[in-house]
Amino acid sequence: MEILNSIYDIFGLIYEPTFMRRSALAMALLCLSTSSAGVMVVNRRLAFFPDAVGHSVFAGVALALLFGFNLQLTVLGLSVLIGLTITFLARHSHLASDTIIGLVFSGAVALGLALVSREPQATSGLSRFFLGDVLTVDDGQILALAGLALLSFVFLFFLTNRLTLSCLVPKTKKNTWTDYLFGAYLALVVAISVQAVGVLLVTALLIAPAATGRVLSVSLRGMFWLALCSGLLAGQLGLWASSLPAINAAAGASVVLTNVLLFGLASLFRSLGPLR
Amino acid sequence: MKPTCQGPLNEPLSKASLSESPVVKFEVRDRPAIIKLDKVKVTLGQYQALEEVSLKIPEKSQTVIIGPNGAGKSTLVQTILGFLPYQGQVDFQPHKPRFGYVPQRLDFDRHMPITVTEFLALGLTAWPLWLGLSGKVKKSVLAGLELVRALELAAKPLGALSGGETQRVMLAAALMSKPEVLVLDEPATGVDINGEQLMCELLDGFKSDYTIVMVSHDLPTAKAHGDWVICLNRRVVAQGPPDRVFTPKILAATFGLHQGLELFSQEALV
Repeated sequence: MEILNSIYDIFGLIYEPTFMRRSALAMALLCLSTSSAGVMVVNRRLAFFPDAVGHSVFAGVALALLFGFNLQLTVLGLSVLIGLTITFLARHSHLASDTIIGLVFSGAVALGLALVSREPQATSGLSRFFLGDVLTVDDGQILALAGLALLSFVFLFFLTNRLTLSCLVPKTKKNTWTDYLFGAYLALVVAISVQAVGVLLVTALLIAPAATGRVLSVSLRGMFWLALCSGLLAGQLGLWASSLPAINAAAGASVVLTNVLLFGLASLFRSLGPLR
Repeated sequence: MKPTCQGPLNEPLSKASLSESPVVKFEVRDRPAIIKLDKVKVTLGQYQALEEVSLKIPEKSQTVIIGPNGAGKSTLVQTILGFLPYQGQVDFQPHKPRFGYVPQRLDFDRHMPITVTEFLALGLTAWPLWLGLSGKVKKSVLAGLELVRALELAAKPLGALSGGETQRVMLAAALMSKPEVLVLDEPATGVDINGEQLMCELLDGFKSDYTIVMVSHDLPTAKAHGDWVICLNRRVVAQGPPDRVFTPKILAATFGLHQGLELFSQEALV
């Protein structure tokens, strides 16, 4: 916790209240994971994958409340299961992957609703996952986010080249375990980010920075670092803007709007500038 | 008439110059088979793409697989490469060779930001692209591009290449994997005339180094490059040296009557 305190001191230069310092750190850690994972999501055309996995957390929460399981473990476990299911079906069924994602998406939502409708008191636990709130993170969640950021870099360190190659050259049997590993990893990223920004906004956090990076670069290296920078920048700018008395908007929404704004500026720059 | 692929100096190749090729130590048909297929059947969805295909590919040969559209040529090479499930026997001698594969088309998202150098580095190193490339990898990539005379493409985005440029880059990728068998699916399709000429010259240059398996639906290409020809139309119609296979009868059986007649008239002109 010593380290956390000294990091809070740095954020203290901008933010007075402790909860803001904490959420600034949480947002930075979260954006490290989502922006870097997003590069692969965008290049592999999996933009709706996070939505499907994100919505499955309802079912996870409902299951945990109904049967008295550990909430976090159930949500993470179910998300990973859904992620692996989508990967499996996309590889082995005759249907296109968007059909499969749509199918699993609706199935997960329906399962959540069915469980919740049986147990009305479960709804109270759902709001956190539906809207998320980066302003109420505690030190435990910060550590979880730090772990996730670390996991992301380890994962992308070892698998970036394989994942990139497999979206460029024809499918061979070799890619099997890479695909499943990526499905599980992405599900974890989604399940953890959902708790900070909510289901409705989690896709934006993954897609927008990568889209900004992609619009501005001609190399994968460029895309990766631009996505990371624009994600981190939008996270902090959005959080800061939401705290201004004149704006005073929900933090998650403000961060997503800033991300989208950055993407708009990047697109404008590209259409004006002599890229390519 | 379509410009055809001929020798390096663009001379029309006579049958004599083919059989006197300096690398051929003894007759192709006597060389051991590096790949042998026995009664191979492949079903794609509900379509039987290959029915009982038996063939051999001689070592260090330039095997050309010809046949009309839908004959199963690409299916055949993908089966040999191990990409497709099949029934029957596929044997490799003495062991399963390292393949270098140049697909007919690279179907990818052309707006994906990745440079040619980055793409070629993917096959060389596990060090992630976003951390930059080492000098050693860059050097190998440039050496690979030089082999296919494409040095100027190094910094270009992969999606901005023309058909011929993409194929040269794919050929570089295949060569950089140090293959024993080089598999090319329609290397002269979707390429402009200069690109086609260049591709032919390159292939002639690599002749003695690899066993080359090439798919083509173009007879002159097959005649110019092949010393072993397999006529395919969902089954093997004929296989052998070009002078034995390029008969009106066999070609008619492979392509249908029309094509056979056309070749017949061409031969009559010679």
